[in-house]
Amino acid sequence: MTVEGDDSMTTTESRPLDAPALEVDNYLTYTRGIRSWILTLDHKRIGVMYLISVLACFLLGGIFALLVRTQLVVPDGLIMSQDEYNQAFTIHGGVMVFLVIIPGIPAALGNFILPIMLGAKDVAFPRLNLFSYWLWVLGAIFLVSAIFGGLDTGWTFYTPYSIDQNSAMGGVIPAVTGAFLLGFASIFTGMNFIVTIHRLRPDGMTWFRMPLFLWSLYATAVIQVLATPVLGITLALLAVERAFGIGIFNPALGGDPVLYQHFFWFYSHPAVYIMVLPAMGVVSELIAVHSHRHIFGYAYIAWSSVAIAIFSFLVWGHHMFTSGQSPLMSVIFSFITFSVAIPSGIKVFNWLATMYKGAISWNTSMFYGMGFIVLFIIGGLTGLYLGVISVDVHLHDTYFIVAHFHYTMMGSSLIGFIGGLHHWWPKITGKMFNENAGRIAFMLFFVGYNMTFFTQFMLGSHGMPRRYATYPADAGFQTYHIISTIGSYIMAIGFFTMAGYFIASLFVGRKAAANPWGGRSLEWQCTSPPPHDNFSEQPAVGDCYDFSVLRWDDETNGYVWREDVAHPGHESEHTASS
Amino acid sequence: MSQLHVHPDGSEDHGHPEHLGHHWNDSVQQFEAGKLGMWLFLATEVLLFGGLFCAYAVWRANHPEIFKYGSQFLSTTWGAINTGVLLTSSLTMAMAVTYAARGRMTAVVVCLLLTLMGAAGFMAIKYVEYSHKFHEGFYPGMSFYEEPHASELWLPLEETAAVVKAATLAGEEAGSVALAAEMKTRAELPTEPAEAQGWNKPAAGIGPAGLTTDQQNIDMAEMSVFLPPSVLGNLEDLDAELAYAEHHAADEPVVLPHPLQDPDRPVNAQKFFTIYFLMTGLHGIHVIGGAVVITWLLILTLRRRFGAKYYTPIDLGGLYWHIVDVIWIFLFPLFYLI
Amino acid sequence: MSIVGLLATAKIGEATSGGTFWMPENASTAAQGVDDVFYFINNINYFFFALLVLILVWFAVRYRSKPSEHTTFTNDAPVHNTPLELTWTIVPLLIVGVLFWIGMDGYLHLVDAPDDSYPVRVTGQKWSWTFEHPEYGVTEAAELTVPLNRPVRLLMTSPDVLHSLFIPAFRVKQDLVPGRYTSLWFEATKPGQYRLYCTEYCGKDHSKMLAVVTVLPEDEFQNRLGKLAREYEDLDDKDLPAYALNRLYNRCASCHSLDGKSGTGPSFKGLWDRTQKGSTVFTNGKTLKGMMGPGGEFEVPENYIRDSILNPQHLIVQNYTGAMPTFKGQLKQRQIDAMVLMLKNLDSLVDENGNPIEAPKVDEVEVSTGADQ
Repeated sequence: MTVEGDDSMTTTESRPLDAPALEVDNYLTYTRGIRSWILTLDHKRIGVMYLISVLACFLLGGIFALLVRTQLVVPDGLIMSQDEYNQAFTIHGGVMVFLVIIPGIPAALGNFILPIMLGAKDVAFPRLNLFSYWLWVLGAIFLVSAIFGGLDTGWTFYTPYSIDQNSAMGGVIPAVTGAFLLGFASIFTGMNFIVTIHRLRPDGMTWFRMPLFLWSLYATAVIQVLATPVLGITLALLAVERAFGIGIFNPALGGDPVLYQHFFWFYSHPAVYIMVLPAMGVVSELIAVHSHRHIFGYAYIAWSSVAIAIFSFLVWGHHMFTSGQSPLMSVIFSFITFSVAIPSGIKVFNWLATMYKGAISWNTSMFYGMGFIVLFIIGGLTGLYLGVISVDVHLHDTYFIVAHFHYTMMGSSLIGFIGGLHHWWPKITGKMFNENAGRIAFMLFFVGYNMTFFTQFMLGSHGMPRRYATYPADAGFQTYHIISTIGSYIMAIGFFTMAGYFIASLFVGRKAAANPWGGRSLEWQCTSPPPHDNFSEQPAVGDCYDFSVLRWDDETNGYVWREDVAHPGHESEHTASS
Repeated sequence: MSQLHVHPDGSEDHGHPEHLGHHWNDSVQQFEAGKLGMWLFLATEVLLFGGLFCAYAVWRANHPEIFKYGSQFLSTTWGAINTGVLLTSSLTMAMAVTYAARGRMTAVVVCLLLTLMGAAGFMAIKYVEYSHKFHEGFYPGMSFYEEPHASELWLPLEETAAVVKAATLAGEEAGSVALAAEMKTRAELPTEPAEAQGWNKPAAGIGPAGLTTDQQNIDMAEMSVFLPPSVLGNLEDLDAELAYAEHHAADEPVVLPHPLQDPDRPVNAQKFFTIYFLMTGLHGIHVIGGAVVITWLLILTLRRRFGAKYYTPIDLGGLYWHIVDVIWIFLFPLFYLI
Repeated sequence: MSIVGLLATAKIGEATSGGTFWMPENASTAAQGVDDVFYFINNINYFFFALLVLILVWFAVRYRSKPSEHTTFTNDAPVHNTPLELTWTIVPLLIVGVLFWIGMDGYLHLVDAPDDSYPVRVTGQKWSWTFEHPEYGVTEAAELTVPLNRPVRLLMTSPDVLHSLFIPAFRVKQDLVPGRYTSLWFEATKPGQYRLYCTEYCGKDHSKMLAVVTVLPEDEFQNRLGKLAREYEDLDDKDLPAYALNRLYNRCASCHSLDGKSGTGPSFKGLWDRTQKGSTVFTNGKTLKGMMGPGGEFEVPENYIRDSILNPQHLIVQNYTGAMPTFKGQLKQRQIDAMVLMLKNLDSLVDENGNPIEAPKVDEVEVSTGADQ
């Protein structure tokens, strides 16, 4: 009854108008065939394509991570030469940053969930969305091809090393081209989200009635739009410098290598908030829904996202305290850096307060939400050392930094992503995964994670530098490295377990109810998986954290609207939001 | 680009205009969303160029003499013509948008064509300027120090004019003597490559070319204890640099020696051309991109896709073209006038 | 050794003797200040971490419920509390304010070297360190000798890429930036030897760009440097090769092996033979033989060695990349003579495997406390 998309990038249906609705009309089955996916304008399908791509890149980056960790169990390096190790950590960093963590939540989960949470049929610019995805794929191909070009500059491409003609690096130009394209994919996604949230909110959903996940995506999108172009020009200048010797970063040609660092970090610091803000938004949803409790301090959490987005542009110099930057600049950056800590702290306190007097389900998703809180506290608190300049001088470019950013990027951003994946898995796939397996995988991950990265704090404070393929045998580092590597293997087992039960759920998982967890935001008011156009009738917009209107229903294994409570729009509503 | 088709999907009405996406309630919503999206994109363009403007600002603040020196070699005339061309094309673009709103599509076609001609004219003038520069050997980066293609004595047009003018003023006979003397002096200037004269062309592998003085806590006198001779030599240049900048602040006759033959040229003079080519080059790429967009709009207009009810892409394309113009409005004075 | 054995015998956290669980030995005037701040933050962190995680776990356990246990949810818990929000905004703000202040104070102390500091010029290049003592006219490689209880100021630059000089025991670090000079200072408070790392990624042998800081009491320090200054001047020609191997080869070791293995640069083993015969072929197609002899570029083969040291980009040996930096300005004439003599006499100085018959290898650190070399 349905036909595939024709060659003008659209989907049309030729079902007669008076035919009954299809029994199982969801976005996965609405049209079939590879072209209907490659040229789809459906934000849900684009989200799924991003999800698969990002997870594949996570596997690639993870393999390189295991290679890096394995190398370091013995002081002389176990499995790789110096050159090979340098390439391994470069690829690990580049793939994880540009292909997994930055696109992760916005592109994979955001694309799917955002329009549905708004009760809309799609994002503002569906064609731009599709273009954005294929641009991402092209960028990914370029970046990954740099593996074969011997790229060994580190994911930060610091000059003059990255322009030094004598180093064996045919991979710099493909890598920065890839990152440039990926940057534009990110910008277009950000543009799409901003316009969607501004223009496609339904009646009744004011800004302060939006779910907090959308606030975080909005703040993220603002950063994406404003910061990423600076990365674009930086990488373009690097490529031009390398190809034509234009003399902007190369001191032998009259350039300034520290200028590169300013340009680079002007983007890359806000970028870390691109990574973590969406994860915080996910955690707001996880904690509220799985505690069945109205989020505490809604307005504070919403405003804190905006505050973080703004402040993030003002602190890039804290990556450069030892770079030859003037002391005055360093002091100013240190001062502003501390200000960024406060909004993040506010979120954590509000999440904890949300759990107070809740009805907490010990789901896998909730574990990831709670895990985020624990690991983000560590990540954030260790940032305090680094904001204090005198201590940062000692800790900069050591494993302490590596541990800090892994706690914030992996322990926080990635956990948020994984938690969101578990939370919205039933919505996306229509299947439930095995909760016991989920909890076991979580424990494996959590234990392995802390073994891997907590030891690195001590390594760093004792002076083990970053990006070392080998280290002195009598410096007392080896034991920590061994523990760290064992931890990484345990983590890997956790991730493979996760992959296992997710894939298994696709085949043998229980069918998911529309609202398996008891969420109140609009995505839980359509079927799992959603129909092609998200809603057959305009959903009711009320207080998205008021769970008192729901009750558990054994038959459907999900939550349903209580019969004795009227749907919003049929009576005036009293909201409890602050 | 094809239009979105509407899905008559159950409860929806069939009256959606062709241009309206299925996820919008009405055309106004779609139009306003498109505008917001375009403004966001323009913000990214501003930030893209912003990095380069920042670099310009920092370099100019630290070495104003390089910029004063380098801008003498740009032709203000051509720059001004280009500015006029681009401003006019912005006008015709705005006219195209207005005509589209009024449904006068033939006028739209004419205005879009005129805008395209403006773009072409701009790029043509750019081509003239760039090829002139390359012919004279003004390349970005260290290629700046290579011999220009014209190996005979270099006497630019402006200079000849000035010399001739001086000759006319001084009287013909005396003038021709002056002219001959001038040419003789020029003939005696050294024409060997910069390296032989010990100027700032470092061999690869040897230390940095110049010394930056914007250091924390580095006292110049104190430093001389530590410095190897190659760097000490440049310290003296620093005084010369400053003296040069002061000296040339006042109005000078337009008699320009070629930089390779000019002993007074500032250290790292090539930086001017580096940033000049980078910024105007990136801008030129955006002009070409804008021309492609306008061509596409033209084609769609000819295919009768637009009318008074729907002309959003023309409006958005116009916004883009305006920002390309605005960026040039900043570039022109920064490079040509000051 | 098995992993278990390693775990059993390795000493956790010991960089040099005297370290704590978190920090290495405290051996400079600045270190105490840094450590104090570090431990202060530690205590704040332990407290808040414990507090917040306990609350989290307590709530998770106390308020756990399964879906089947209740079918409805109530709205009786508070959803906002402005005094609470203000408290947990302002208190952290005050805490970070204090942290900022003490950090700034400590940092400003680190920035300005005292006027009477002992000067040292540092050059970090791929992948070795060179330390010059202008007051003595001495150049050290891979080892920096400094006096005890006296401020030392390092003025640093790099001829190639970014590096960073890091001495964990002193808690100091500063990048070396090509094209400009950067500086750092410290005052060592305990005699001994301490590790020095390069801590800004600089390429292939970044992990091997190590050095040692030797802190000696003032009189021993002066003694040692005096000896080093006269070291090659007083030597007879016959002692120059050993001197070059012991004191100068350090700088070449990361690229030029002694055992015949080709690295970033050709091995020194057999180099003199090849030079004399002129069999070396360059990337421009010429052979050395054609450039030697009367009227040639190199009248004698020794001149080619000189040229390679001072002007390495001039002629690059085939199949190599021309990565060698110049040592112009870093080696005195007599030191270059010493290098030439070392190459000539290499077979009597090192064995088949490139192991020096007398001198220690680059990587070994002598954990002595200030004895003369």
